[in-house]
Amino acid sequence: MDKTEENKQKRTLSPLFRRLLRLKVWVVERLRLSERQVTLIWAALIGVLGALASESFRKTSDFIHYLATGSESSIITSFVKLAWWQRLAVPTVGGLLAGLTLWLGNRLFASVRQKTTTDYMEAIVVGSGIISVRASLVKSLSALFSISTGTSIGREGPLVQLSSLAASLLGRLRRFPIPQRRHLVACGAAAGIASAYNAPIAASFFVAEIILGTVVVESLGPLILASVVAAFVSQVLHGGEPLYKSPGFNLHTRWELIPLSCVGVVLGFVAPAYLRFLRTAERLFSKVDIPIPLKLAVGGAVVGALAILNPDVCGNGQGLLRSLFHQNWFWDEILAILLLKLVATAAAFGSGVVGGVFTPTLFVGAAIGMLYGQTVLYVAPDLRSDPAMYGIVGMGSFIAATTGAPLMAILMGFELTLDYAIAPFLMVNCVVAYYCSGIFERRFMYGESLERKGAAFFNQQLAEVSIRDLVRLDPITLPKSATFAQIAETFVQHRFQHIYIVDKEKRLLGAVSLHDVKTFLDRPELESVVIAADIMNEDFPCVSPRQGMSEALHKFSEANSERLPVVDDLNSHRLIGSISKTDIILHLAGEKSGSGTGRQFGKNP
Amino acid sequence: MISRKSVEQLRAAIFIGNLEAKSDREAILKMLGALQGHPQVKDLSELSAATFDRQQSDPPLFPGGIAFPHARTNSVSSLVMVVATCPKAIRFSDMLVRLIFLIGVPKNAGADYLEMISFLARHVREDQVIDRLVKAEDLPSFLTAFADGP
Repeated sequence: MDKTEENKQKRTLSPLFRRLLRLKVWVVERLRLSERQVTLIWAALIGVLGALASESFRKTSDFIHYLATGSESSIITSFVKLAWWQRLAVPTVGGLLAGLTLWLGNRLFASVRQKTTTDYMEAIVVGSGIISVRASLVKSLSALFSISTGTSIGREGPLVQLSSLAASLLGRLRRFPIPQRRHLVACGAAAGIASAYNAPIAASFFVAEIILGTVVVESLGPLILASVVAAFVSQVLHGGEPLYKSPGFNLHTRWELIPLSCVGVVLGFVAPAYLRFLRTAERLFSKVDIPIPLKLAVGGAVVGALAILNPDVCGNGQGLLRSLFHQNWFWDEILAILLLKLVATAAAFGSGVVGGVFTPTLFVGAAIGMLYGQTVLYVAPDLRSDPAMYGIVGMGSFIAATTGAPLMAILMGFELTLDYAIAPFLMVNCVVAYYCSGIFERRFMYGESLERKGAAFFNQQLAEVSIRDLVRLDPITLPKSATFAQIAETFVQHRFQHIYIVDKEKRLLGAVSLHDVKTFLDRPELESVVIAADIMNEDFPCVSPRQGMSEALHKFSEANSERLPVVDDLNSHRLIGSISKTDIILHLAGEKSGSGTGRQFGKNP
Repeated sequence: MISRKSVEQLRAAIFIGNLEAKSDREAILKMLGALQGHPQVKDLSELSAATFDRQQSDPPLFPGGIAFPHARTNSVSSLVMVVATCPKAIRFSDMLVRLIFLIGVPKNAGADYLEMISFLARHVREDQVIDRLVKAEDLPSFLTAFADGP
């Protein structure tokens, strides 16, 4: 049977073949996973990785803590058992080791640090979703030394860092595009927070509200999945109890609603002072010109000295919070530990210890809330107020007021205590605290950091990119004698908004704007009487390859144009090409610019 | 569509009837002279230089014997116009011109210029219209002839 016959037979089978083909297409179309669905799968995996990374950090931290104190108990219990000089020595040595780790890491991996970031927020918001592995491990090791030896700093920082690093590595391994890598790092951060606080809903909203700045389903969905999976894995590994289980509350009288509704006002007004206090500590330490290891040792020594007075200042404040809510504390005891804890946290944070201030902030809010509750109990004993209830509401309100994320704070307060009865009070007070804080403070805890990093990153990117690298050669030009017909024809043929007008020596004379002529393009009567010189803008801005990108951006704002002409020199004005906003944006986003109409400067002959 | 702005500008134009000149240069100079002391003209010599400069590059002429000498210069604060009829045609380049519209326009008003040229050119496409316009003795009769259309 020859080929023609064979083909004929195949064609006779075509109806069945077509039906099968149609069925196959139908199945494939319905089973085909979109990018969003694929992201969900990776988000779940990141949840597992995040929880495992957090658990590894916890175990290692416990081990170092045992080596440092000889005790397997919690940090506060261990410190209670230590002699006075050991209470001073352990955090000091811990700080020194943490500082030495950072110092060595900075020396060894300086080049790595310049190219990639170690900060997960930066990687999500302005970076390429790539977090430096070596520098992250250095930071985490440093945090291990500080946290294990009792420094008053939260361990949620390194937990989130490691979890985000795992997500970043996965994104790099799978060669995902930048936006997807960023999203996966955000999932990693959410997984880290969820495993640190066993609070998956609040973790997703923390990342969405504070870091991404948006609560939309497209971005929130994967965050929620990563958080829930991470929280579930953490619960399997070390139990599913809420971190600060509520002792359970009842309102004895409806009159108590009045003082309870004012918790947010009090905390909202205190929060700006707390933020400034932390910033002042940071500024004071930055003025001390000593090597990093010594600086962190000083931070540790301050905590150690305070621990001699009261070992409760050690650690992130997690155990202290549980104790506050479940044991009877007198107001003077609360005030004393609050003041000590504030100084200890400021010393640790200011000296540059790697870690978070979220848990210490929770403690400060709870302590102030409890002091307020004690005052209410003293002033109106008939209300029979439970100060712990004020403490929990205060904790949530203070987080709302310091982070500028009331939604996350409400959810966090609820998830940390799992007490539904307290949820309405949390909701009201978190919102009130947020608004009260906003009267005095517009720079919230993470927003300021993000703003600073964002600006620094953007400026660095701008400084690195050169106009020369982005110039496209051979722009569309016309002589100044070009007729209106030629101008119209050129605009029709090309999709540029401006045509550059040049003389015989290719000197830039001006530009004709499509915006100016578009309503006249269909008027043949103009063809013979109007030339380019009649309608060109002689003051059209231009740039030279020697100028910086920030100057180019400034010129773009003047010209209101997608493209700017590039001249070899601002005196000679010889046109060599053009530069477009899109190419700059793509370059800043780390993408290569698409094919333009012209060759690129210095790349092709 | 009639441009209200262009109509207003035409009404504000200076009219010179029966302009006689031996050359395009002389005709333009006479028209420029009519702008002496015009409130919108800041520097007549600069306007004059810009007009002749533009004439040198490519004299704007429209079929039927119409010239549009003009200049984009900041020596005028807004669009100014002088209209001249020339029953005895004057040679502009290779065309005998019977109607001249001299226009001065600020540099940032290129769109006004386009609008005005387009407006004028659309109304003077027919020979009979040009004939009527050339016969006008003053601005009102010129405007009437202009408004009558083809």
